[in-house]
Amino acid sequence: MSITTEARPEPSAPPRPARRRLPGIGADRSVRSVLLVAAIIPTAALAFLIYQMVKTAWPAVIFNGVGFFTTKTFTIGNLYATGTEVHHGYTAAKGASYGILPLVFGTVVSSFIAVILAVPVSVGGAILLAERIPVRLQGVLGTFLELLAGIPSVVFGLWGIYTFGPLLSRTLYKWIAALHIPWFTGPTGAGEGMLTASLVLAVMIVPIIASTTRELVRSVPAISKEGALALGLTSSETVRIVTIPYVRTGVVAASILGLARALGETIAVLIISGNFLNAYPHSIFDPFSTMASTIAAFLDSALTDSTGMAVHSLAEVGLVLLAITLVANLAGRMLSRRFSGAGLPVGRGV
Amino acid sequence: MNRLVAIPFILCATTLAACGSSSKTTSSNTSSTTAASTNTTAVTLTTGNPSAAVTINEDGSSLLYPFLQELVSPLTAQYSNITLAPAPGGSGKGIADAIAGTVQMGGSDAYLNSGQLSANPGLMNIPIAVSAQSVYYNLPGVTNLKLTGDILAQIYQGKITKWNDAAIAAVNPGVTLPTTTVVPVRRIDGSGDTFIFTSFLSATNTAWQNGPAFGTSVTWPGVSNELTANGNPGMVQTCKATPGCVAYIGVSAGAAAQAAGLGQSMLQNKSGQFVQANSATITAAVSAGSSNVPPDLAQPLIYEPGAQAYPIVNFEYLVVKATQANASTAEAIRTFLAWAISTSGGSTPQYLAKENFVALPTSVLPAVNAAIAKITP
Amino acid sequence: MTARRVRNAAFWSACSLAFLCVAAPTLSMLISVFHQAVPALGWSLLFKRTNSIGIQNAILGTLLLLLGVLILAGGVGVAAGVYLAEFATGRHERFLRFFSEILAGMPSIVIGYIGYITLVVQFHWGFSLAAAVISLSILVLPYVVKTTEVALRQVPTFLREASAGLGLSSTTTVWRILLPPALPGIVSGLIVALAISTGELAPLLFTAGFSDQNPSLALVHHQLPYLTNVIFTDLSLPGARARATSAAAGAVTLVLLIILIAVGRLVSRGARRATARMTI
Repeated sequence: MSITTEARPEPSAPPRPARRRLPGIGADRSVRSVLLVAAIIPTAALAFLIYQMVKTAWPAVIFNGVGFFTTKTFTIGNLYATGTEVHHGYTAAKGASYGILPLVFGTVVSSFIAVILAVPVSVGGAILLAERIPVRLQGVLGTFLELLAGIPSVVFGLWGIYTFGPLLSRTLYKWIAALHIPWFTGPTGAGEGMLTASLVLAVMIVPIIASTTRELVRSVPAISKEGALALGLTSSETVRIVTIPYVRTGVVAASILGLARALGETIAVLIISGNFLNAYPHSIFDPFSTMASTIAAFLDSALTDSTGMAVHSLAEVGLVLLAITLVANLAGRMLSRRFSGAGLPVGRGV
Repeated sequence: MNRLVAIPFILCATTLAACGSSSKTTSSNTSSTTAASTNTTAVTLTTGNPSAAVTINEDGSSLLYPFLQELVSPLTAQYSNITLAPAPGGSGKGIADAIAGTVQMGGSDAYLNSGQLSANPGLMNIPIAVSAQSVYYNLPGVTNLKLTGDILAQIYQGKITKWNDAAIAAVNPGVTLPTTTVVPVRRIDGSGDTFIFTSFLSATNTAWQNGPAFGTSVTWPGVSNELTANGNPGMVQTCKATPGCVAYIGVSAGAAAQAAGLGQSMLQNKSGQFVQANSATITAAVSAGSSNVPPDLAQPLIYEPGAQAYPIVNFEYLVVKATQANASTAEAIRTFLAWAISTSGGSTPQYLAKENFVALPTSVLPAVNAAIAKITP
Repeated sequence: MTARRVRNAAFWSACSLAFLCVAAPTLSMLISVFHQAVPALGWSLLFKRTNSIGIQNAILGTLLLLLGVLILAGGVGVAAGVYLAEFATGRHERFLRFFSEILAGMPSIVIGYIGYITLVVQFHWGFSLAAAVISLSILVLPYVVKTTEVALRQVPTFLREASAGLGLSSTTTVWRILLPPALPGIVSGLIVALAISTGELAPLLFTAGFSDQNPSLALVHHQLPYLTNVIFTDLSLPGARARATSAAAGAVTLVLLIILIAVGRLVSRGARRATARMTI
């Protein structure tokens, strides 16, 4: 709507007196303080979370010591036995031994496999969406990404265990196991296990990487692409030579954010992983456990331990998970910040 | 002179005081029929419809849950101001939530351990019924398979991996056993079913007793194709989908297990006989085991002697705090518990038989009523 | 020459395959959820509660939760975003923004765990609406702050200059001049926050509990039913009826999500028209 089509007010009417006074400069200070308090809240919440986590985990940190990072077993102990274990002044149930190694293994391996699988799929799909799909269809097809991003993780988990897992175990897994590659062979089971969980995690993080890639691909200056095509490059070569280098850092940053998401995913993994503790999976089809799924699965049992050491140890698991996720997030954000100024300085309309 | 007079006074006063405090008979509420039935003896409880509407929140044992679900409507029909709100979640959750106070009653197949009792004075486990657990298997065509605790312990340790193993064949003469791999299924949630199953394994296999032992959550030995499930219904579903599986399932899920086509095994009891879980064998076990129940009611009924006794039997407990928030809640809980254990209230064959439970033996009722009477505001 | 053409075709086929790998699971999930929900569909779904065959209590609980998150995370997040965009300067601006972004990386299970240990147990609130809303708000707060800040930064500077030139106070500038054009961006941030809240389960498992009754407006001591819990309990309840109810809860959650996405689309379309009007 342009200014010329709007009706002009009658020139002869006297100006109406202001109906109320606008807030003056004095009110500014109090409003500003309120807003400052609001701005501090995220930082305060973060500090509170970390403080509570460390405080709840502290007895376990002392009790478990370095053994936490070297032991294979994670067990609450025998709550019905007589006597307790005491280390360094802290008590736990008899036979309790808390070690995080298989959990870290499960978390890190499943998340890395998920990212490795998700990146090519996301980048390929995003490039297709941004470069080849006609604009009319882009809205509809782009909806897939938005839907996928919003589907609850519990739906992913149930789909994984009832539909996806059994389908894979009947087909793909049997073919892979038949090849007898070490660690890729063994009983394929009914679909619960590390590979299924990694695949479902991959599907979950695809939207994160794909939507960022799509935005980045769209923002590649048309002039570079047109120049490449004018020189006779095929469209795929243009993508390889012009687009990919332009979006590379952004894709890496988004992948790291996807990795952080996969590291912290709880419910889907809880449902599909099979919750196998105290040993390493022997093959990629075996059940396993992650740090997040163990916290969720064991909190109720941990609360029955009257010494409280189980709850403290779960908090210690959460602390390690927090640390790993934080590092991943920081890396991702620092990379994306570094990227955001790196585009070719081409002005609009040139 | 004054002191001599005072002594008999003091003696009388203390005797009267002692008499007064030991009497538990107080006026019973007359707004509706009381729950006192023919089998409560020495202790009379104050029960009745509370004056305000009370919802009793419960969660925990998935073995007890179907029974409580059945009791919801008849309870409110009898006592209009009491509503029972049960939920599943596993015995571990039931105990934890009862301790934390997020529910008023925690359902558990496992009694409280000494650590929980000493950390929470006033916390009680009150049995309301007797239940049992069966071991089901998924081997189409094989019926009435016989198993022993020792064999099951070896299966769950990964030492027996095929159904046609010599140990299984030895107790099943004449039965053709398939070469299928054994797939053990266990509970992932803090589970009373795990508690009673592992108690049975501990009683029959020394390696198990010295290793994982028993509890609502144990260190399961790593068996490579072991599966996990949530709740008794989850065990049924998982076993149904896995040929060759073996799973421990509470009797209240027995109908679902039968409907799913799972076979119910016969377990060897302490006297060497192979029995299946039914009301006769469960009653035999609980009669043998309830002759000397301790006052805190923490009594296992596992592997009881007797030719007909079923080996995996347990009391179904509701974990309750003695001190409740207010008088109405305390009265509601007392009323519910007394009604649930009475043979004219909740413990009728109509409700018990559907879940394959058995009523509490009369020998424990005095102790149970004494515990219920301790629930006060 | 043909080798390059073949490589070209191969590349685009690979990309199409990749896209299918994204579309197929989405379709599979949507179809299986709605297909399994069919036996439970009917008006009783909306009018009965989970102790019967309906999910009325869960739907009301989720809506109540969304309202709470909108008020708490929306209010605090927008205010924080305004502060960071308009009033903060120098080191403490970078400091506050940095920590807000770190908060975005918190695993939801950690937030739920701390919520349980502190709000539910230590504060004696029990499983409650307050504990659930606070936990979810902490989870989504960084998104609201970030989108508000970005939306405000996109408002052209000449408006701020003109407002200062006219002698308007900062409050008036923000409230009357800057927020209106930034509103679409802020609203889409709020929609992202609501979409995340609809689908979350891990923090709610330990702060909200569940209940077969309709949720009360009580902030504490009353357990709150919500949809994702009904979906989750499919794993531990028997029978086809439970399966269908769980799938129905999943279907309702997806419908809520689709509504939120549609509203977001409408808002951003309106935003594009508004910014077009802005350029002079």
